[in-house]
Amino acid sequence: MIKKNYLEDLNNAKKPFIIYKSNKGFDLYTDFSKKIILTNNNVEKFINESTKLKSKNKETDLFIGFFGYEILNNLIGVKVKKQKGLKFPKGIFYKPESKLKLPNKLNYKNLRIVKSSKLFKININKASYKVIFDKFKKKIKSGETYQIKICTKYSNKAHIDALDFFSRLVKSNMAPEAFMIKDKDYSIISCSPENLIIKEKDLITTKPIAGTLKKTKKLNKIKALAFFRKNIKENKEHNMIVDMERSDLSKICKAGSVKILKKKIVEEYKDLYHYVSLIGGRLKNNISSLDIIKAMMPGGSVIGCPKISTLNLLNNQEKENRNVYTGSFGYIKSNGNMRFNIIIRSILNYKNKSEISVASGVVIDSNAQHEFNENYIKAKALMDLYK
Amino acid sequence: MIYIIDHKDSFTHNVVHQFENFDDVTCDNFNEIDENKLNKSNVIVFSPGPGAPKDYPISSSIYKKFKSKKKIIGICLGFQQILHCEKGKIIEQKKIYHGYQSKIKVTSDNSLFKKNRKFNVGRYHSLKLKEPFTAKNFEITMRCAISNVAMAIENNKEKIYGFQFHPESFLTENGNLFIKKILSA
Repeated sequence: MIKKNYLEDLNNAKKPFIIYKSNKGFDLYTDFSKKIILTNNNVEKFINESTKLKSKNKETDLFIGFFGYEILNNLIGVKVKKQKGLKFPKGIFYKPESKLKLPNKLNYKNLRIVKSSKLFKININKASYKVIFDKFKKKIKSGETYQIKICTKYSNKAHIDALDFFSRLVKSNMAPEAFMIKDKDYSIISCSPENLIIKEKDLITTKPIAGTLKKTKKLNKIKALAFFRKNIKENKEHNMIVDMERSDLSKICKAGSVKILKKKIVEEYKDLYHYVSLIGGRLKNNISSLDIIKAMMPGGSVIGCPKISTLNLLNNQEKENRNVYTGSFGYIKSNGNMRFNIIIRSILNYKNKSEISVASGVVIDSNAQHEFNENYIKAKALMDLYK
Repeated sequence: MIYIIDHKDSFTHNVVHQFENFDDVTCDNFNEIDENKLNKSNVIVFSPGPGAPKDYPISSSIYKKFKSKKKIIGICLGFQQILHCEKGKIIEQKKIYHGYQSKIKVTSDNSLFKKNRKFNVGRYHSLKLKEPFTAKNFEITMRCAISNVAMAIENNKEKIYGFQFHPESFLTENGNLFIKKILSA
């Protein structure tokens, strides 16, 4: 049993820690014996050596942390031009020496007040968004991309208590891939719903989400499914992602083993319904952790399709670094098992600056005004935490 | 051995797994061709991909070099690549099909498939073949049941085949049938 004020004490001790959603509650990792800051030069070595830990303790024989968007591009040979941004590390992993189980209801109350400028600045206003949107629509017509996600970023100056934010966030928006990292000079808080990789022995699965519906009193799960089935645009976007993830898995899986395990089902969350599929396969012999990461990341559902050509279009367009947004958080165990999500619905707070990035998809029948507003709605749930 | 030329698409490895049902497969990027393996192969497959055939001159020259020497198969962009090399015009279409399941129909007596047979297939294409199109020994053998857009070409004399739709997509019913028939032709 953990002490009642454990989280408070941990937070006050200013020790770095990580919390990650588990099946029944959360896992807390702390007492880090190693911290590895990733660069384009050491990332491959890190991944290759992450499974060479000498086994001492099954529970903590792992590296936990994140890969940012840029480093994942670099891993698959896609260039990102020099961009503006916070100069935040491209990726950080930790070797924990302690792991504790926490319940779903996080017992933490912050007494300090959040110090922040209430007003968030957006990096792309509605007019510029429309310009980018129309440009990408032309690229869809000429076949360079079939679906592309425009990213907008909201930022402000803020001094926050990350644990307070996280416990409030999971209270209102519990998500199966929620996590937080708190370190001395930064924190990340996320209620990501999307798992990108679960790898256990030779079995690997991915669970893309494409399609979101806000809950209303009139809706239920069956009606939500009927809505998605009838909605041609949502269906097309989803189909594309399913075929793309099948192909990504096929790079590393045995021929004939890649199967759609759950095809276009609805999952219910506190405030919304998601249209999801579960796809899995059996890994070929001699596939390394690096092979898996290169095949699956960055997760396609938040980028667009086809992945490489769409990444190039995005990277030529975007002036600001995405940092952790659409990167992946998770762990690699010393036995090679892994779990990684896609970092979305997240706040990055670094040197007392906060940023919240959001994206929504352009397909041939999308509408700029609608997608711009959709982005705002996604960001609002996180910006409300600053009130 | 089947040699698949990948135009850096996010569907190519579905194509690879589908062909692996029938023979050994090697797959390389269009700009990293293994000449030795290409020469040794019996079948060359041009994968789907972004953009237009004119963006891939290397693939065009491979087509011209091996035409009538090896069996050649094209899927989506690969289909357009073959048509482009046969002086067909590839143009933008008004209604775009991405992630779309639609009905197509066999429209020719000379097809490996039975005339008037209908299939549900997955489509991902911005561009289409401009018609009329004629090329020696080529025939358009399948069309979209609604828009009439060309969906398959067959050249049974020189063993060249192409599909505008995606036989490897989960949206295509009996996708393996298409590949099996043209590989055994």
